[in-house]
Amino acid sequence: MDRFTRMLAGLLGRSAGLLPAARRDWAEAVLAEAGEVRAGAGRVAWLGGGLWLVAREVVMGRVIRVLAFAVAAAGMVWIGWPGASSNSATPLNRVYAVGTVVLLAVLPWVVRRYVGPVRSGWAPRAARVGGYAMVLALIAAKTVKDRLGSKLGAYFPVIPPVWAPQIVLLLVIAAYVAGLLILTSRRRVRLARWILPIGIGFGAVTAGVLYALAPLGVAVDPSGPSLKWWGLAALALPLATGFLAARLSARDTRPAALGPVQQGSLAASCAMATAALLLAVLTSVTIALFPHHVPLQSPPPPPGGGCETCDPNSVVIPPGLRHEYWVELSVGQAGETPLAVLLIGPFLGAWLGVLGGGLARRSPGISRGGGGPHALSPPQPLGRLMASDANREQVIDTLKAAFARGGLTKEELNVRTGQTFAARTCAELAALTADLPAGLTRTQLVRKPAQAQPRQPVDTGVVWSAWGLITPALFAAIVAIGDPTPTDNKPIEKILSLVT
Amino acid sequence: MARRSGFSAQTLSVLASLVEVDPADWRHGYQLAKETGLRSGTLYPILIRLAERGLVEACWEDGQPAGRPRRHLYRLSSDGLAAARAALAVAAPERRRRVAAAGRAGKRKVAVAGA
Repeated sequence: MDRFTRMLAGLLGRSAGLLPAARRDWAEAVLAEAGEVRAGAGRVAWLGGGLWLVAREVVMGRVIRVLAFAVAAAGMVWIGWPGASSNSATPLNRVYAVGTVVLLAVLPWVVRRYVGPVRSGWAPRAARVGGYAMVLALIAAKTVKDRLGSKLGAYFPVIPPVWAPQIVLLLVIAAYVAGLLILTSRRRVRLARWILPIGIGFGAVTAGVLYALAPLGVAVDPSGPSLKWWGLAALALPLATGFLAARLSARDTRPAALGPVQQGSLAASCAMATAALLLAVLTSVTIALFPHHVPLQSPPPPPGGGCETCDPNSVVIPPGLRHEYWVELSVGQAGETPLAVLLIGPFLGAWLGVLGGGLARRSPGISRGGGGPHALSPPQPLGRLMASDANREQVIDTLKAAFARGGLTKEELNVRTGQTFAARTCAELAALTADLPAGLTRTQLVRKPAQAQPRQPVDTGVVWSAWGLITPALFAAIVAIGDPTPTDNKPIEKILSLVT
Repeated sequence: MARRSGFSAQTLSVLASLVEVDPADWRHGYQLAKETGLRSGTLYPILIRLAERGLVEACWEDGQPAGRPRRHLYRLSSDGLAAARAALAVAAPERRRRVAAAGRAGKRKVAVAGA
């Protein structure tokens, strides 16, 4: 029993290292008091509780998220990889399945350098996990759909693969993931409470309704009634979301860096992005699972051969494969409308959200909410107690906030940061921030009046770079590339023949 | 009732234990575990959550005591004290008596500090 207890204590001491520095204290606290618990079953239970604590924190922390992502990414690559190399979709699939995984893995590290880690709370974490799951599901379903749509490539190039739209899709996905990561990060973007959940919620509900109207995408029947509903939703969703978000942000008294119109625009583009992504995922997954339910895109050519005989450039289809050709063409083309919405949705949302936010600002009874720094009590004197890393982090945050407000010079900040690491007791730490305003100690961001500083270039720049810079660039790319038809696509075919 | 105050029954028992006697006293984990009857695997997650919400202050004991490792100590912050009193006031009636006693103790302390 004694040996078992010692083993548990050793295990707890080592496993504490798995926790981030701010949480390590807690595991060490359990270990420190194990000696006081009566030896035997009680002490074993105490140490077991400590191990449970570490396991819980680790599972809820980064390790499990990284593992889950690795499993999901491997699954997606596995789905996207197979297929005969004669299938013209296969090389494309291999490139963009791997490209997406690399993108999803690398972007958090890049974004984290500039805007910090994920914001605490369940909503930002859930948004990140959900967004990643959506992107993985979309690419997996699209690889399956593309493969089904060009199976006849074994006989002749039915639908020559077009690289440009796939690269654009990869860039759009990159913009979505970057936007998601920035909006759910700790720094830079200060949205009022509920704005992000409202944007995502409205978008999800709209996507659900539109999907119920056209489960296989509207491209199969462009004159169908559901396209009108899509248009209506594309107008109503961003206007309503922008209006509501602007009202909410005007009433919110918490520190917020963005104005109501900006918040309305951001919420609307967030709603549109959510709706577009969800629709694309649902449609692509439905097509991949039920390819035989996709309606034929246009009637098959007349039995005599139709236009094939009069147009020397067109692909000659053996009569026996004609029906299969049309089925595959329809599967390949189905679900393209949601993918196009993926590109223009957030852009449209941002502009209509500005309109909605402007309407909210003009409506009576709304003014920019007042505020001022939170009236927090000054920190309690902690006396000659030993400081922990968590205490030091808090002091450094306070010093940085003071530096940002101009209360400290760069030299003072450096000197005091050095002293923070050297400080042993809480009293020594308290002395470092004693001459700074008390309100800074717990809230790093202090609200500034909107009139005094209508624009915050850095924050705004980061926000708009996600939607405002990448999306127009993609538009330009699309326009420049045009709509490649099989005959325009000779150089790409040559590259492809080298790859396969 | 626990739902109305926003705290679980276990969290309420931890808060009650921290409010009792003198809220300004620093407590350690095993002491709280004995008072509340909670296991370490339940108690510490509650303390972590309370500390992250700024309701509980945590610090390591000063100096190296003879014969045992340094303890990690906890007490309610001023926000935490207010939240704990509010939560316990709407909790079960048998707690109300203890909270009232703690409240009187708190008032005495304030009076002393004011004088």
